[in-house]
Amino acid sequence: MTTLALDATPGPARRTLAAFAGNKLALTGALVLLALLAFCFLGPLIHPTDQIHTDLSQTNLAPGAGHPLGTTDLGYDMLGRLMHGGRTSLEVGLAAGVLATLFGTVYGAVAGYFGGWADAAMMRVTDAALAIPALFLLVVVATIVTPSKPVLILVIASVAWLSPARLVRGEALALRGRDYLHAMRLMGGGGGRAVFRHILPNAVGTVMVNATFQIADAILYVAYLSFLGLSLPPPAADWGSMLSAGITYTQVGHWWLIFPPGLAIVLVVAAFHCIGDGLRDAFDVRLENLGRS
Amino acid sequence: MGVCGGRLCAPLGRTVAAVLFGFLALVGCGPGGNVVTRLGPTGGTPVEGGTVTMALPPAATPNWIFPIGAPGYLAGYNSAIQNLLFLPLYLPEKKGDALTMDSPRGLAEPPRYSDGNKTVTITLKKGYRWSDGKPVTTRDVKFWFDLIQHNKQEWAGYSPGLMPDDVKKFEITGDRTFRLRLDRAYNPAWFTANELQDVVALPVHAWNPGHEGPKKTFARLMRHARRFSRFATDPLWKTVNGPWTVEKWTTSGQVSLTPNKKYRGPDTPHLDRVILKPFTTADSEFNVLRAGGVDYGYIPPSVMARSAAFKQLGYRIDPWEGWAVTYIVLNYHHPAAGPLLRQSYLRQALQHLIDQKAISRVIWHGSAAPTLGPVPASLLHGEPYPYDPERARTLLAAHGWSERDGVLRCVRPGGGAGECGTGVRRGRELRFSLLSQSGSTETANTMQAIKSEFGKAGIALDIRQQPLNTVLGTTVPCKRTEPLCAQWQLGFFGTQGSWYFPPDPSGEKIFATNAPSNMGSWSDRHTDRLIRATEYSDDPTALCDYGREVARRLPVLWTPNPAYQVSVIRNDLRGVDQNPTLTLAPQDWYFVTADGRKGGAGA
Repeated sequence: MTTLALDATPGPARRTLAAFAGNKLALTGALVLLALLAFCFLGPLIHPTDQIHTDLSQTNLAPGAGHPLGTTDLGYDMLGRLMHGGRTSLEVGLAAGVLATLFGTVYGAVAGYFGGWADAAMMRVTDAALAIPALFLLVVVATIVTPSKPVLILVIASVAWLSPARLVRGEALALRGRDYLHAMRLMGGGGGRAVFRHILPNAVGTVMVNATFQIADAILYVAYLSFLGLSLPPPAADWGSMLSAGITYTQVGHWWLIFPPGLAIVLVVAAFHCIGDGLRDAFDVRLENLGRS
Repeated sequence: MGVCGGRLCAPLGRTVAAVLFGFLALVGCGPGGNVVTRLGPTGGTPVEGGTVTMALPPAATPNWIFPIGAPGYLAGYNSAIQNLLFLPLYLPEKKGDALTMDSPRGLAEPPRYSDGNKTVTITLKKGYRWSDGKPVTTRDVKFWFDLIQHNKQEWAGYSPGLMPDDVKKFEITGDRTFRLRLDRAYNPAWFTANELQDVVALPVHAWNPGHEGPKKTFARLMRHARRFSRFATDPLWKTVNGPWTVEKWTTSGQVSLTPNKKYRGPDTPHLDRVILKPFTTADSEFNVLRAGGVDYGYIPPSVMARSAAFKQLGYRIDPWEGWAVTYIVLNYHHPAAGPLLRQSYLRQALQHLIDQKAISRVIWHGSAAPTLGPVPASLLHGEPYPYDPERARTLLAAHGWSERDGVLRCVRPGGGAGECGTGVRRGRELRFSLLSQSGSTETANTMQAIKSEFGKAGIALDIRQQPLNTVLGTTVPCKRTEPLCAQWQLGFFGTQGSWYFPPDPSGEKIFATNAPSNMGSWSDRHTDRLIRATEYSDDPTALCDYGREVARRLPVLWTPNPAYQVSVIRNDLRGVDQNPTLTLAPQDWYFVTADGRKGGAGA
């Protein structure tokens, strides 16, 4: 009987997944994200366009046959450009968000677990970096170096890791006094084992939730930089640079140059936020208990 | 769990707010704005005083006040400001369709040529004083001459054989008259327009009170000139003889000028203050203009179709056509790209790939016109290398270039007929990098269109955009061994025209060997001979011969020449004359009001 009862109890991962699946808004976010990924990466197979060469005979055409979302000021098909630009935004945003989360998580865990002077020194570095406005730093760096995908990823990640570092450090401080960590130390376990086998797995919920927000923020950073003219050199495009280029034509009513990239940015950022919030609720034990009571 | 359960409301609320904000911002981007004046472009009663804010070109930061320009500081807005502080002896003046050198703003009477055009006598106009009360004399002009004569390599305006090399002797014959003995007879019109226009009086009593030698003095002045954060406070720059003095000069490039109270010329200022305001991009300027933040600005070519909206707000639209040509500079001394660029067939192929007419019409919305050669189009016979991609491909294929992986590679190296050319090794890719100025959508799109056409023909072009001052500081003449020379292959700084002709549009400063603005270091004996002919002979065919030959030889790649700007000026601001040589004369500007009372904007 006892064995049967234990088998019937779902594991934490399954419980988390079930809670996430029960959150309609989080599911909507995930579906929107999947749809956008499919649009950007599979869309060009259905709607192939030339996004390399300009066509000055087809500029600024309004949406219509052949060009469902019209054309740009250089004759690029707008629908194809949206797919092409979305790849850059998503690739850079995802990579920068993940990189920032990984580095910030390890940094924060190490600082929180070891404490003392190491924690003080590492956190002062974080505080100092947080004191510099991120956008200012991004603009300065992007002006000095020629933007490319790897450069954008590194530059954005270099300012985005601070938030997960502080968050995970707090988790590590709370976890380091737990009995199982004392036991591990008594059995001869080192700092590395404590951080990577005990602290990080126990902070995974916080990290995953934060990662989704980091990715959303990184996508916005890409848009900011591109909007300020610090995007990848042409013919590469991303949603921010498309929005920036379209703003020029606001005065002459070329709405199709502005709304599609603007809407795409809003959708992808909102989708990540919904997923992040859904994950947070799913990982939150107290909410889970409240739901059952 | 409901939609707004727990902490979900916060991100959702932010998202909704962002969407609403974005939508409202876009809706607000219409041609709306406040009416700045109800007056039309004519009528009203002139009033004294007021402040005018004028927009500087996109990404332009004034950074040089010393009237002797250094390489890399040749931007037109620098010299326009200098001319308001330190009067040149001669300034160009538009009369009808022609440019003359007898502007009443100049410091000197018209020059007198004698001795078979080998001597020129110049008399300074009466009554001019420095702002400290001392009279302007010929010793001030001699001071300028000594400085450039002993430091000519440091002067950006120096071209071997020209000023000061062509002056054998500078003779002072009185406080107001001096004589230049020239090394040979010159074409008087050319000499006045292109040589004497550089001459300026500098306050020797204030700048060299210790009577130091010209080299030491020049070095000291250059040290001061490089500290542009102190232009407004350094006592050195306070002694001026022009109608304006510097009130503020910020490191971001905003310059504020106030009238020189001691100025006694014919054009004393009417305004209290003129502010020259920098902008990083044309779009940011446009936004400030719509908000009423500038009195004299410009609109991007993309919104020319909606210029009527500005007229309703109390502005007049006045395109400012420059006396200019526009081109992409080729660095013949670049260690890797130089051997390629020296091949004339390759330059011809590149020029055949630039669709100037389409770029002018589509990207510049008709506010640019194709550049055909180094002189005004009326002196040329059509376009030697019109847009013809097929001809370009044929030229390249006929000289040993074959496409692999989308890029042309040299398969027949050597200097013979049908080969890639001297210095081009087998397997060499046809790939260039272009350093282009930032801040303009039209320029970015032009470069993208050129890159696209080059790409279709198998020529890779990597474009890097930088602010104008960075481009001007990088694309300077260089020796093959200098590290700077390896930093750029092709350069573009022509959003508002690359080269503004001197009143006599000869080429001694851009295409003569070692000329100061010969950024790509083009050197050709035949071109030099033709340029010299324009300097010595007053035969009008000399200029045509020079223009046609250089158009054919392609020392640069010609690109559409845009209007300097499509100006938008408040209707109540009058006296604005948009000189095609881009000189400024804010001393002529004044406000009008309906009733003649001082007030309203700018007062």
